[in-house]
Amino acid sequence: MAEASQLFKEFKIQSVSEFFRRNAAMLGYTGKVRSLTTLVHEAVTNSLDACEEAGIPPYVRVEIEELGNEHYKVVVEDNGPGIPEKYITHVFGKMLAGTKAHRNIQSRGQQGIGISGAVMFAQITSGKATRVITSTGNDEIIEAWVKIDVDKNEGKIVKKEKHPNPKGWRGTRIELEVKNVRYMRSKQGVFWYLKLTAIANPHAHIELIEPDGKLIVFPRSSDYIPEPPVEMKPHPKGVLTDDVYRLAKKTRRNTVRRFLIGEFSRISDKKVDELIEYIAALRLIKTVEDKKLQEQYYQKLMEGHVKAVLRAFKGYTKVVKQVAKMMEKPPEKLTWHEAEEIVEAFKYMKFLAPPTHGLRPIGEENIEKGLKGILKPEFVTAVTRPPKVYSGGIPFQVEVGIAYGGEIPAGFDLYRYANRVPLLFDAGSCVTTQAARSVDWKRYKIDDLDRAPLVLMINVVSVHVPYTGTGKQSIASVDEIYNEIRLAIMDAARRLQTYLSGKHRRLAQVKRKKTFEKYVPEIARALSILTGEPEEKIREYFIRFIESRFASTEVEEVPVAEEVAENA
Amino acid sequence: MPKRKIHRERPKEKFSYDPRKVLKMLDEHARRILEDIKAGKNPHFDIPMRGLSNVYFDEETRLIRMGDKLSRRYFLNVAHARKFMQTLLIMAYVKRLVSEGKHASLREAYYANKHTIPGTRENTFEDQSESDPIIEDLERMFGVLREEMHITADRRGYIYGDIVIRDGEDEFNASKLGSGGWAVPGTVEHIQFPEINVDYALVVETAAMADRLIEEKFPKRENALIIATQGQASRGVRRLIHRLHYEEGLPIIVFTDGDPYGWYIYSTIKQGSINLAYLSDKLATPESKFVGMTMDDIKKYGLENVTEKLKGIPPNKKGGPTGDYKRILEEMNYPWFQNKEWQRQLQLALKWGVRIEQQALANKSLEFVAKEYLPEKINNGDLLP
Repeated sequence: MAEASQLFKEFKIQSVSEFFRRNAAMLGYTGKVRSLTTLVHEAVTNSLDACEEAGIPPYVRVEIEELGNEHYKVVVEDNGPGIPEKYITHVFGKMLAGTKAHRNIQSRGQQGIGISGAVMFAQITSGKATRVITSTGNDEIIEAWVKIDVDKNEGKIVKKEKHPNPKGWRGTRIELEVKNVRYMRSKQGVFWYLKLTAIANPHAHIELIEPDGKLIVFPRSSDYIPEPPVEMKPHPKGVLTDDVYRLAKKTRRNTVRRFLIGEFSRISDKKVDELIEYIAALRLIKTVEDKKLQEQYYQKLMEGHVKAVLRAFKGYTKVVKQVAKMMEKPPEKLTWHEAEEIVEAFKYMKFLAPPTHGLRPIGEENIEKGLKGILKPEFVTAVTRPPKVYSGGIPFQVEVGIAYGGEIPAGFDLYRYANRVPLLFDAGSCVTTQAARSVDWKRYKIDDLDRAPLVLMINVVSVHVPYTGTGKQSIASVDEIYNEIRLAIMDAARRLQTYLSGKHRRLAQVKRKKTFEKYVPEIARALSILTGEPEEKIREYFIRFIESRFASTEVEEVPVAEEVAENA
Repeated sequence: MPKRKIHRERPKEKFSYDPRKVLKMLDEHARRILEDIKAGKNPHFDIPMRGLSNVYFDEETRLIRMGDKLSRRYFLNVAHARKFMQTLLIMAYVKRLVSEGKHASLREAYYANKHTIPGTRENTFEDQSESDPIIEDLERMFGVLREEMHITADRRGYIYGDIVIRDGEDEFNASKLGSGGWAVPGTVEHIQFPEINVDYALVVETAAMADRLIEEKFPKRENALIIATQGQASRGVRRLIHRLHYEEGLPIIVFTDGDPYGWYIYSTIKQGSINLAYLSDKLATPESKFVGMTMDDIKKYGLENVTEKLKGIPPNKKGGPTGDYKRILEEMNYPWFQNKEWQRQLQLALKWGVRIEQQALANKSLEFVAKEYLPEKINNGDLLP
């Protein structure tokens, strides 16, 4: 028996590890370069979120040290609020236990798996614990080595030291040792990720020390710290049966009616009464055997004639009463079937558009600052579109920035973001790529997009970004989102066009000026021979004349006499 | 022999060449440019426009004249700046030529002013086709001949006859230079005629015919001056004809082939040309008369066998009119050919579809032209206007 239980224990440990390994792709740990990027991403995201929530301008420093072949130490340090001692194990140890999971809130992170996933990844590749040094700014600094007890899915502090904090340092520094990863300066690597992060977060100062010791600084270019996102209750049009069912189990409300009003947006007492009628009507329609007639009822319902539909059935009041009863029972007693009925009825009902106050776009000004600060372009513009709704009830918002020329090398680059998080993979299948390519750039004075020194940044903001896969690296082609992106791009491109045509005009102006200037010495010499005045003086007259004409606005085109056609 | 009707008249014009006039023009224009630029104004030249659109026929003087349409050439205009610069370069060059009393050909003027503009890969003049028009512009702008600006045209043509010519330090009689006569230089402005012993000047289209007349002693016998144009008359020859007529009172009689080209040569000598309309006052001689060949000559002297067919397609045939026919129709529309005699000649040419060369007269005999044809027609006043 002892042997068997031993085996059982072995099996259990193995299975958690095994699960994580098998699902590493889900968390972003696939490929040696990408795994490192994901690790850094989780730590940096935590830092940025923590700083924003505490209202501190973030200062994040990433250090990557090569310890051996495909063996690195990753250090991420921030000036955030720090972690109180008793929460250390929760933050780094428990998977699927974050504060944002299952809440309808716009978030950067991987919904609670984030940093504990990173700790886990470090642990299973190098066997080492993660070193955490943190202080909330009080008189002590805590240094702790954290491991995950895979068995219990719990954080465990293997070693802990306390140090005095005479200078009142506040922040968090974590050190992870990982193997099976590789540092590369590619477009999927840490450098690129941090660069894109810096652009989308101009309020953050980000530094990177590469394995060869090189320090790269992405300086802060905005003082504005974005407000942390707020939770938004789900909109009835955007929920699935599962959402309703699960939320009903979790809620603290004591009736289904109270639950619906309390946990969803745009549902009032009156709406619940309406919902009762719709559910009743749907139940009744389902009893009709004639398919054609049934279709007609559905149609009528869709048009909002719920009362008329109800009246078509004898004894409909009885059914209505039944449904009304359901609304008064405790929500945890709600059955899957009933949740299904509610969601189906939602589809036929009309609701106010969902609230958008929870969306946190970067903002036009800050996009411009971010692009300008990091890319040093000669021209930059940004467009933040007003929020829109997709799939009936999920609010989203699109932002676009364009940076052109300056230090940007030739060749089109698309920087994709979802909720400010750079997307580095699967660009081809992303709706942003499709939308960017669908624009006729020639109309905006970009004759050859692939050779233009142009960076297009697109940020899709939503409480629920429709990713194409679990890797969360590409946004699905939802019509509403696609169209919004296109509109935003075209809006920004129009401004680029205006700039470019102005620039062409100025260039032509300089060229024209040179045309006149080059003839001045010849003219001066000839006029000197003809009039006897000193050549030098005549030259001055002409140069001064040209200067004054070009200084005062644009040179009005002097009337070109008919001669030109015949004589020029 | 009837009494000759043609003889020398009283002069109408005085010899007019004065280098100071050119220098004054240059100075005036250059000063104005300088004043403009000092005042912050965009300096410009006003150049009379060339081309058919700015040419008209002056009925009173019977000259092709230039209209008053001007084109402005600005410094501060991308399309003009280069030409503006070139205009000044040539002006400065002309000033040097005139004040030093030297002459240059068009080609020399081109090479003398061609150089790379410092700091560029551009030349002041890329081709002679750039400098020639500038010189013409100056002629039109100043109303002076390029010869007066000491820039000479190609020489062509010669004269023979009892006339004393003073050309610089040389003085000679044009009937004592052998059968080749005196070649007309590019510029005749400075030439003077201390002694003239002829009654009129006969302008001959072809050198062969002029040679024939000299050999037959026509100039001596008829007291005439022979001027060979050798095709279309050069500017030098036209200017010489003009001067001989207006300054020396010599009647001018033109003798060309009986074809559209010959008649056009006559027209140019008489009324001037469209290209040089601005110089008609100095080049054209409206009082000149035409002796032949005419269509009537064919009948009168029985030359039907020595005519040639007109080239091109007649107006009534498909694709026509082209070639000679087209030229004739154009000439019929010239204001100065709007008279009965000329219209009749041109109509006949069209009708018969023939042309006749001066040399066809040799069909009669070598002496015929000198001893019968010309004296008879000239002395009888059998001339076309």
